[in-house]
Amino acid sequence: MSDVLRVDAREKVTGKARYGADRTPEGLLHAAFATATIARGRIVEVDTAESEALAGVVSVTTRFGEDELGPPSFVMGGGYGTQSLQPLRGDRIAHRGQPIALVLAENPVVANHAAELITATYEPEAHASHLDADQAETLLQREAIPIPFADDLTFGDAETDMAAAQTVVDATYEHPAQNATPLELLSAVVQWHEDRLLIHEGTQNAGALRNGLARQLNLDPQQIEVRSRYLGGAFGQRNAQHPYLAPLVLAARRAGRPVKLVLTRQQTFHQASFRPQTRHRITLGADATGRMTAAVHEIDQQTSRHDLFPGGYAKVTSRLYGIPSYRSRQRLVRNDIQTPGYVRAPFEQPGVWAFESAVDELAARVGADPVAFRLANDTSHDPVSGLPFSSRHLGECLRRGAQAFGWEQRPLAPGDWTDDEGNRIGWGVAVGAYPANVTPARARVRVEPDGTVLVETDGHEMGQGLTSAVTSLVTRELGIPAEQVRVRLGDTRVGAQPLTAGSWGTASTLPAVQAALEQLKAGESGAEAGNGLPTALADRAANGLVAAAGPVYGEFAAFSFIAHFVEVRLERVTGRIRVPRVLSVADCGRVANRVTAASQVRGGVVWGLGAALREHLVTDPRLGGFLNASLEEYPISVNADICAIDVDFVDRPDPLLNSSGVKGLGEVAMVGVAPAVTNAIWHATGQRLRKLPITIADLPAGGRRPPSGPSTGGSRPTG
Amino acid sequence: MYPFEYRRASTLEQALRMSADLAPAAFLAGGTTLYDLMKLGVERPVTVIDVNRIPELSHLRLSRSALVIGSGVRMSDLADAREVRESFPIIREALLAGATAQIRNMASIGGNLLQRTRCTYFRGTHPCNKRVPGSGCSAREGIDEGQAVLGGSEHCTAVYPGDLATALLALDAAVDVLGPDGARSLALADLHRAPGDRPEQDHTLRPGELITAVRVPATRMRQAYTKLRPRESYSFAWASAAVTLSLHPDTATIEQSRVVLGGLATRPWRVRAVEDWLHGRPLVEAVALEAGRLALRDAEAGRHKAFRIDLGTRAVADALLRAGEQHE
Ligand SMILES: Cc1cc2nc3c(=O)[nH]c(=O)nc-3n(C[C@H](O)[C@H](O)[C@H](O)COP(=O)(O)OP(=O)(O)OC[C@H]3O[C@@H](n4cnc5c(N)ncnc54)[C@H](O)[C@@H]3O)c2cc1C
Repeated sequence: MSDVLRVDAREKVTGKARYGADRTPEGLLHAAFATATIARGRIVEVDTAESEALAGVVSVTTRFGEDELGPPSFVMGGGYGTQSLQPLRGDRIAHRGQPIALVLAENPVVANHAAELITATYEPEAHASHLDADQAETLLQREAIPIPFADDLTFGDAETDMAAAQTVVDATYEHPAQNATPLELLSAVVQWHEDRLLIHEGTQNAGALRNGLARQLNLDPQQIEVRSRYLGGAFGQRNAQHPYLAPLVLAARRAGRPVKLVLTRQQTFHQASFRPQTRHRITLGADATGRMTAAVHEIDQQTSRHDLFPGGYAKVTSRLYGIPSYRSRQRLVRNDIQTPGYVRAPFEQPGVWAFESAVDELAARVGADPVAFRLANDTSHDPVSGLPFSSRHLGECLRRGAQAFGWEQRPLAPGDWTDDEGNRIGWGVAVGAYPANVTPARARVRVEPDGTVLVETDGHEMGQGLTSAVTSLVTRELGIPAEQVRVRLGDTRVGAQPLTAGSWGTASTLPAVQAALEQLKAGESGAEAGNGLPTALADRAANGLVAAAGPVYGEFAAFSFIAHFVEVRLERVTGRIRVPRVLSVADCGRVANRVTAASQVRGGVVWGLGAALREHLVTDPRLGGFLNASLEEYPISVNADICAIDVDFVDRPDPLLNSSGVKGLGEVAMVGVAPAVTNAIWHATGQRLRKLPITIADLPAGGRRPPSGPSTGGSRPTG
Repeated sequence: MYPFEYRRASTLEQALRMSADLAPAAFLAGGTTLYDLMKLGVERPVTVIDVNRIPELSHLRLSRSALVIGSGVRMSDLADAREVRESFPIIREALLAGATAQIRNMASIGGNLLQRTRCTYFRGTHPCNKRVPGSGCSAREGIDEGQAVLGGSEHCTAVYPGDLATALLALDAAVDVLGPDGARSLALADLHRAPGDRPEQDHTLRPGELITAVRVPATRMRQAYTKLRPRESYSFAWASAAVTLSLHPDTATIEQSRVVLGGLATRPWRVRAVEDWLHGRPLVEAVALEAGRLALRDAEAGRHKAFRIDLGTRAVADALLRAGEQHE
């Protein structure tokens, strides 16, 4: 396939790309929030006097009427919102950082200062901020959310098979809460034109914003237009309507002027969803020949007091291998936090980290090479549904990766390998999988008088390269240059714009565009088509509700797969952990655009390295909230932490899933990176560390002395 | 952010006069600390006096006896200066280990030395004796993993985080200041103060005093700076160490050394006891590690910060060994 480079690269690097908050309509007012300084309780009084007296302040609102500001609805409870808690609608404080007053002012400096001057008195209550907190409440997920989606997965007879197993690993893994930290702060510009409402916001789900606002504010969805041309990173944090949006719209209507809100970084950490803290107990059994016979995955996951955010960890850990007996038990632990949510590879990152760590432990216990062990437990059938996979080239990912990485040079025993300078070396491997879901999408294609082909479609451009993938498809199908293709998406004027997430964007949008192109090629000058999903789903999507099909389809189950190979070096004197190289081989069906695909994988690997070695939200249990709520203190990786990342693809079209042969890639890219790192650290040190992140603080210094003996000479790595 | 008035001084005299007339005032260099803390509401000057256009502050001179660095020189310029690359590699190492390329392009040497001590509670809205004297210390019973293990008091354990000052102390630098009472010079060792019962005061400058230059005596000592941190850029130290030393030409034992801890104490922390102990010993790994342990002997493990004592030990050992590898 001919590759189109990123079609929006030029706009982005020249600063022409306009993001939500870049809009500055005439008469714009600026909004800012004052936020709660307790973690749970009741507001007694909010003192706004000083703030209101400030020159340039237009209004300060602490409470909207319950009739004008309706209740929000949680996206995972059949609604549209990131959570079901609506600030400024009552006196309850559910988490530290919850908005308690909304300021409108003539400029952003005054707005923020006015917000800082607002104080409140509270009746605080005891709160819980982590899994083991006294006030936390633990629920069995399948009872708390009695729908199939949230159910545990069970097949075979794990207890009996485990009892019969020759070798058993039973270990508990701790994964911290993490934040997506997209560079673009949460923000919106809202504007009324008579009774029509225009929202500019970087969102993955323009449809939910439109329908959620309509429901909360008692409007007709047709009155509301949402535009989301670009996102400065989303990763799940922009997958639904945020609680700030409805108050902003009301404030703009009262003021009769457009309003812009840009949350501060601190506020973005405290109001947006995040990856919840989890604990995983994994029990694995193998028979005498080194085949895994039984697996149990038990999960405790944080949720908020007001919402049940369902965990979906078992979906993937049950399918990594052909293990005949499996049982999961997912529990939700209620804390006083904003509702956590989806962050790139939401369940797969923590779940597969734990599972693939245990698999590695088991391989070591039976004395097997970790690649050979994984290959020996591969499967062509989905053990959950019993159906064949639409395509599964995980074995090839492993074989190809091992070959290119030079795996045969790896000593089997851990803690034994040092370089000339005495630094310890470890090599680790792990696999990942991610469900291939699809969401309804429609596309319209038209040839303009000047010969340009205009594509209007559902889907959001989050930097993942959807626009480029669509452009690639059109240039290939019609044999025209990329300059003649124009793509409009993320805009409710051209489609219903349901959620783009779960790596389903490309696989959902391309088939719709392809179908429309077929009609065009058949001689129409304009054409419109859907991607062929059932009407019931399409209706949900048209109304802004989450509507995903898969990963089990009538006759097959569809997943993307990946294998990661990681080298770590631990510096002898300092113990510093370096990752000089990573190699990832992905099976994502057909590669729709090599440039953006490789970039997706590299981004996933970078994030996986950070998840393993750095990222965690720090909470003071006395206070709630997050202490390290800034880019400076929340340690996402920087360039200096990242070395070589090589990416390869199996690149074989999936024959069953859709006409384009593509499966998702964005999320699977990250899955399995963290366990490959921790498995490599084990290989370097002989230590199994079961709590992320693993830092220099967890590892003793001191590899071997270099063979040359004590040092006053020779070269060693410098700091 | 509280409103403030911005003034620009073009001469030293003008800067001092403005500072006296328009108090409470703060000098503005790169602004990477000052504006940051003003946005957090921690610093609330009524006047900000920009000293970036004062020509005397931006010179860099190397003589036989000393390197004189104007306080307005940018971190990145100093790190790249030939004089520094050739004669004071530890300054370059420490500068490049600090902050980010973007911040280093803005930040000045004077502002760098006076960057405030760090503590997550100080920057938040929680009780903090440094931000609001007498309000209490949230770190004492809280998450103290980033707090000082040396030099703290019951009132405050915020860390002095600067990399440059740590290195400059190992070079025995001095600071020239100009104030309402005229010019004076003080040893860098006397610039920063431990919190004691006045944690709001990080340094010993008198009101209105301006740092004009830093003086670094010429040296032929071997030198190295090691910094251990959560990520390899854009991160303050969990622990760091600056070492300068000379070896006996015949026996290769340590003749003279200075060992300074960074990121571990409430101020740059020179450990003379270790320097004495090192005298006459061979620079081998066991000695380096023992020196590291000695340097941290009096450190407090607190609730969550014991790991930094271990990292401090490793940083000292690594800096000693790396310094030893250099050619004189
Ligand atoms: C994200 C981030 C990460 C950082 N990481 C590191 C790090 O890893 N290591 C490190 O060492 N530093 C780090 N820093 C601190 C950085 O080095 C300092 O902010 C910078 O050096 C300050 O210099 P400036 O010129 O910007 O000072 P300013 O912000 O202008 O001033 C700082 C203070 O000094 C006063 N001042 C400035 N010049 C003078 C003068 N000539 N005389 C008297 N008073 C003066 C000001 O009034 C103010 O109180 C980091 C900073 C940030 C924001």
